[in-house]
Amino acid sequence: MNVRPETARHVPGQPDMWAFVLFEGLVFTAYFTVYVFSRARSPELFLQSQAHLDLRVGVFNTLVLLASSWSMACCVQAAREHADRAATTNAYLTMLFGVVFLVSKLREWAVAIEHGFTLTTGEFSSFYYFLTGIHFLHLLIGFVALAIAARQLRSPAARSQEVVETCATYWHTIDFLWVLIFALLYVMR
Amino acid sequence: MSWLHDEKRELWIGWWTLVVFYNLYGLLFFVITRTQPPPDPSLDPTEVVRWFAERRHGLIYGYAIVFIVGGATAIMNAMLAYSIRRMSVSRAFAYSYLVIYALATLPGMLIMGVACTVGAMRPERDPALMSWIYDFAFLSFEGTMGVFLIGSLVWMIAVLLDENGVFPKWFGYLNLCNALTEVVVAPAWIFKSGAFAWNGAIAWWLNMGVFVTYTAVFLTLLRRLILREDFGTGPLP
Repeated sequence: MNVRPETARHVPGQPDMWAFVLFEGLVFTAYFTVYVFSRARSPELFLQSQAHLDLRVGVFNTLVLLASSWSMACCVQAAREHADRAATTNAYLTMLFGVVFLVSKLREWAVAIEHGFTLTTGEFSSFYYFLTGIHFLHLLIGFVALAIAARQLRSPAARSQEVVETCATYWHTIDFLWVLIFALLYVMR
Repeated sequence: MSWLHDEKRELWIGWWTLVVFYNLYGLLFFVITRTQPPPDPSLDPTEVVRWFAERRHGLIYGYAIVFIVGGATAIMNAMLAYSIRRMSVSRAFAYSYLVIYALATLPGMLIMGVACTVGAMRPERDPALMSWIYDFAFLSFEGTMGVFLIGSLVWMIAVLLDENGVFPKWFGYLNLCNALTEVVVAPAWIFKSGAFAWNGAIAWWLNMGVFVTYTAVFLTLLRRLILREDFGTGPLP
């Protein structure tokens, strides 16, 4: 088991994962910058295309992911307190929220395509499918992280708290990135 | 000539091959052939013919050198596979990495070289055909970056599972970043302009920025691996 002195200051999980968070943060900042510059070139066209999006679906997806982050935080807290049952339940709850988000996102894409709002409809739609698509991919990898965390929690004797927290860090990053994507695509006018 | 007796000489030859190759690769693609940064994907056939004419000699001689030094990729791939063999993971990781990167040499370098040479050698060809060659060259090169995705994931899993500490774990996660930015090139097959075209801000510039960072990092880490390497009396991997 990975034990660290309680008094030592440290980031949750492996510091290496925080390097990933920083690097992915930079990459997404670059995506967002390109999006904002493209939008500034033709704001009217972007606004017209933005009308295709249903803000309520965006809000629902955001709330679902925020809930998943909450349950993941509860999972980490419970694991720290050696409340194994509660930690495992929260890990599975996080997965459930993740699945709800995936299904909702797939449905949103299907409805949009049915209404003729496709990848090539316009510049805004390209960014919409690109940003939500790349986030979707990150989320799929997030399920691998959750599975690793759940597996760790199943065997308390061999558990590494650090690995559980590393997986949680990845999941929170996905959530954080979604909040930014939501603000840029759905809210920013 | 003391280096001849250095027990790490093969590793240094492999590492210097990597360094020289990547520098040469940059020089050949960016300066001599002038095929990078990629040109506009929406050129009409007449403009494409002019594009080939303007850099005819650069394309012919530049890619001739590419074909000659292309074999160096075998040594480079071997060096990277060697790093995986030093890890406490199955040999399958190193073998799959070798196979994937050996195949990736085709879309990652050779197909574009062949297509550009074919275009440059016969400038009198029908402009419609030249346009086809131009598309084939750049789509095969820029649009297929995804072939490096699996290789990066193989390296990532090996680094994360390794207990020998051959590379730091953050390098495993950096492999994931690199893999995920290889995916963003895929829209280049659809778009002829904008951020997602083959010369776009996201599909090319950002991807290239991440790739250059990733390459600089793994070159540094490989150098440290060689410096650290202590063969002792044990068998080589």
